[in-house]
Amino acid sequence: MLRIDNLHVAVGDKKVLNGLTLAVPTGEVHAIMGPNGSGKSTLAYVLAGRPGYEVTQGSVTLDGRDLLALEPQERAHEGVFLGFQYPVEIPGVNNVYLLKAALNAMRRHRGLSEVDAFEFLGLVREKMRLMRMDESFLSRGVNEGFSGGEKKRNEILQMLVLEPKLALLDETDSGLDIDALKVVAGGVNTLRCAERSIVLVTHYQRLLDYIVPDHVHVLVRGRIARSGDRTLALELEKRGYDWVTEAA
Amino acid sequence: MSAPLATRIAEEFAAAAGSLAPDSQRSRAIDALTARGLPSSRDENWKYVNLRSLEKVRFATAGAAPDLAITADQLPPQIQGYARYTFVDGVLAPALSASAAPPGIVVRSMRSSGSAPGNGALQSEGDLRFALLSEAFATDGAAIHVAADAQCPGCIELVFVASTEATRGASYPRIDLKVAPGARIGLIERHISVGSEANFINSLASVEIGRDSSVQHYRLQQVGARAVCFDTLRATLAQSSKYQLYSVNLGAQSARSTVHVQLAGANAEVGLFNASVASRTQVHDTFQLVEHIAPNTRTEQIFRGISAGRARVACNGKIVVRKDASGTDSRQSLRGLLAGADAEIDVRPQLEIYTDDVRCSHGATAGKLDDNMLFYLLSRGLDRATAMALLKWAFLEDVVARIEVPELRRQIEASLAGQLNETNALQGALQELL
Repeated sequence: MLRIDNLHVAVGDKKVLNGLTLAVPTGEVHAIMGPNGSGKSTLAYVLAGRPGYEVTQGSVTLDGRDLLALEPQERAHEGVFLGFQYPVEIPGVNNVYLLKAALNAMRRHRGLSEVDAFEFLGLVREKMRLMRMDESFLSRGVNEGFSGGEKKRNEILQMLVLEPKLALLDETDSGLDIDALKVVAGGVNTLRCAERSIVLVTHYQRLLDYIVPDHVHVLVRGRIARSGDRTLALELEKRGYDWVTEAA
Repeated sequence: MSAPLATRIAEEFAAAAGSLAPDSQRSRAIDALTARGLPSSRDENWKYVNLRSLEKVRFATAGAAPDLAITADQLPPQIQGYARYTFVDGVLAPALSASAAPPGIVVRSMRSSGSAPGNGALQSEGDLRFALLSEAFATDGAAIHVAADAQCPGCIELVFVASTEATRGASYPRIDLKVAPGARIGLIERHISVGSEANFINSLASVEIGRDSSVQHYRLQQVGARAVCFDTLRATLAQSSKYQLYSVNLGAQSARSTVHVQLAGANAEVGLFNASVASRTQVHDTFQLVEHIAPNTRTEQIFRGISAGRARVACNGKIVVRKDASGTDSRQSLRGLLAGADAEIDVRPQLEIYTDDVRCSHGATAGKLDDNMLFYLLSRGLDRATAMALLKWAFLEDVVARIEVPELRRQIEASLAGQLNETNALQGALQELL
C-alpha cells in the first residue's frame, strides 16, 4: 500500500505540492486528475525520486518502507515504476540491453538468479506481441527516433517486463491516437491484480474509458481537492475543472 | 619553441649525422626546422599540448638495433586477414613481420629499400613542424604501394612499438602510403609501448589516394601512460576517391595529433571519426584541417572525447573551402563529455569559406552526462555506476559503431571499457552490444 501523508514539495522557490495526503491500497487503480500546473507530474516524479524536487514536509511509504529515504534505483528495486510522460531518448544504449539490465537488477534485489538470454528473449517477445511492437525495436537505441506512440508503448513494455508493485503512469495517454491508446490500456489492464497498485496521472477522462479506476482524485494547487469514483471523471469531462478549482 | 631547444635539436642532428644515411633532405628539414622552430604553447593551435616535455628528450634515435627483445605475445592479437608489420622504435622488426604482403600490395622498409623517408612536409603550407623533426631523424618506416585496381579491404596492419626512454632516444614511426587508381584497401595502424618507460614518439604518415580509390585507415593510439606522443598525418585525395580515418586515442601522458587532408580532386570524400578518452592528468589534443580544393568534395568529421580526473581533451576541427570548391558539403560534430570536476574539454569547429554554393554545418558541445538520461536509467533500477558507464559508452558509440572490422571493434571496445575504468560495469553491456 502506498501512503502519502501531508506531502509538501518545492521546486526551487516554487511550492508545488502543499500538504497532499493520499492512500492507494494494494490491488487498486487510482486516477489523479487536475488542471495544468496542479502538481500531477511533480507527484509522479517525487515518488520516483527525480532530483530537483525538495520535500519540505510529509512522508511517503510503500508497504511501510520510507520511499523518500531511497535513491531512485532503490525505489525501483522496491517495486516503484514510473512511466514517463516524455520518455528519454538514449542513442547508443539499446533497448534489449536496458530491459535485461533492469530486469536482472530487480531479480538480484529479490534474491533471484539472473535470467538467461534464451528465457529473457522469450519473455520479451511475448510482451512485445501484447504491445504490438516490432521485433526490430529490440536492437534500436532506447526510444531513439521512436514516435510518440512508440515511446509510450515502450514504457508499458518495460513495466510488463519489470512487474512493479507500484506503477505510476504519467500522462501515458498523451499523444496517442485511439488505436495506440487501446493497446497501451490493454497492456496496463493485464497488470491489474491484487498484488499491485496503479496510479494513473491524466489530464483527460478518455484513458479512464479503457482503464477503469477504482478511485478518482482531483489535484488543485498541490492538494487533493476532491475524490470520488469514476463518475467524478465523467463529471469533470462535462463540466471542466473550474467548479472544483473554485470550491478548493 | 624556445630558441635553445631549436639549437639543441640542430646540435643533436649534427652529432648524429655520422650515423644517419647521408641525405640532403634531412639537412633541408633540419634547416627549415631551425628557421621556423617548433611550436610553443603561445601558438593558438598548440596551446593545449604539453610542449615542456620536449626539454628532456634526446631527439636522435636510440640506435639501429632496439636492445629490448620484443616477442609476439607482447603485441595485440592479430586481426584475421591483415598482414602484420612490426616496427620497434621506428625500425622494422622482421621477426615480427609478415614475409609477404597480399596481392597487389608492396610493403617495403624505407631503410632496406634505400628510399629517403622524407617527403612532403617541406613543401606543405600547413603547420607540420613535427613532421620536419621526423624527416631529420627517422631512419626507417613502412613504404606501402597499392597497385591500380587492387582489392584488399582487409589488408595491412602496422604495429609501432615504443620501448626506449625519451632521454635515451626518440621513436619515429613512418608511413608512406601510395594508392594507385581504382584500388580499395584497409590499413590498421597501432601505436603501443612495451615497458613503462617515458617514450618520446613522433610519427609521420603521408597518404596519397589515387582516383576512384578507397582507403579505410584505423589508428589506435595506446602508448604507455608516461609517453609523449606526437603524430602528423597528411593525406591528398584525387578525384572521386574516399578516405576514412578512424582515430582512437587512449594512451600517452600527452598526445597531439595533427591531420591535414587535401581534397584535391572533384568528388573526393573524407570521413574523420575520432574517439578520445583521457583520465588522470592526460592531455589529448587533436587538430584536423581539411582543405576543400576541388568542386563537389565532402567532409564528415565526428569527434567524441571524454575527459575524466584532471585530464584535458581538445579537438580543433578546421574546414577551409577554397575558391574553386563549389558544391562542398561538410559536416562537423564535435562533442566532449566532462567526467570529472577538474577535467577539461575544448572543442572548436572552424570554417573558412572562399566561395558560394557550399553546405557546411557544424555542431560543438561540451558538458556533463545528461541528468534526464541518468534518471531514466536509475528509475529502471540500474545502479549508478552502471548507468553512468553506459551513458559514457553510448556517447562514444557515434564513432565506435562505425568501425567496420568486427574483431578490431571488439578489441577497441574492450580497450575503451578499460580506459573508462569501467570494465566490470560494462561487462554485461559489452556482451550485449557485441
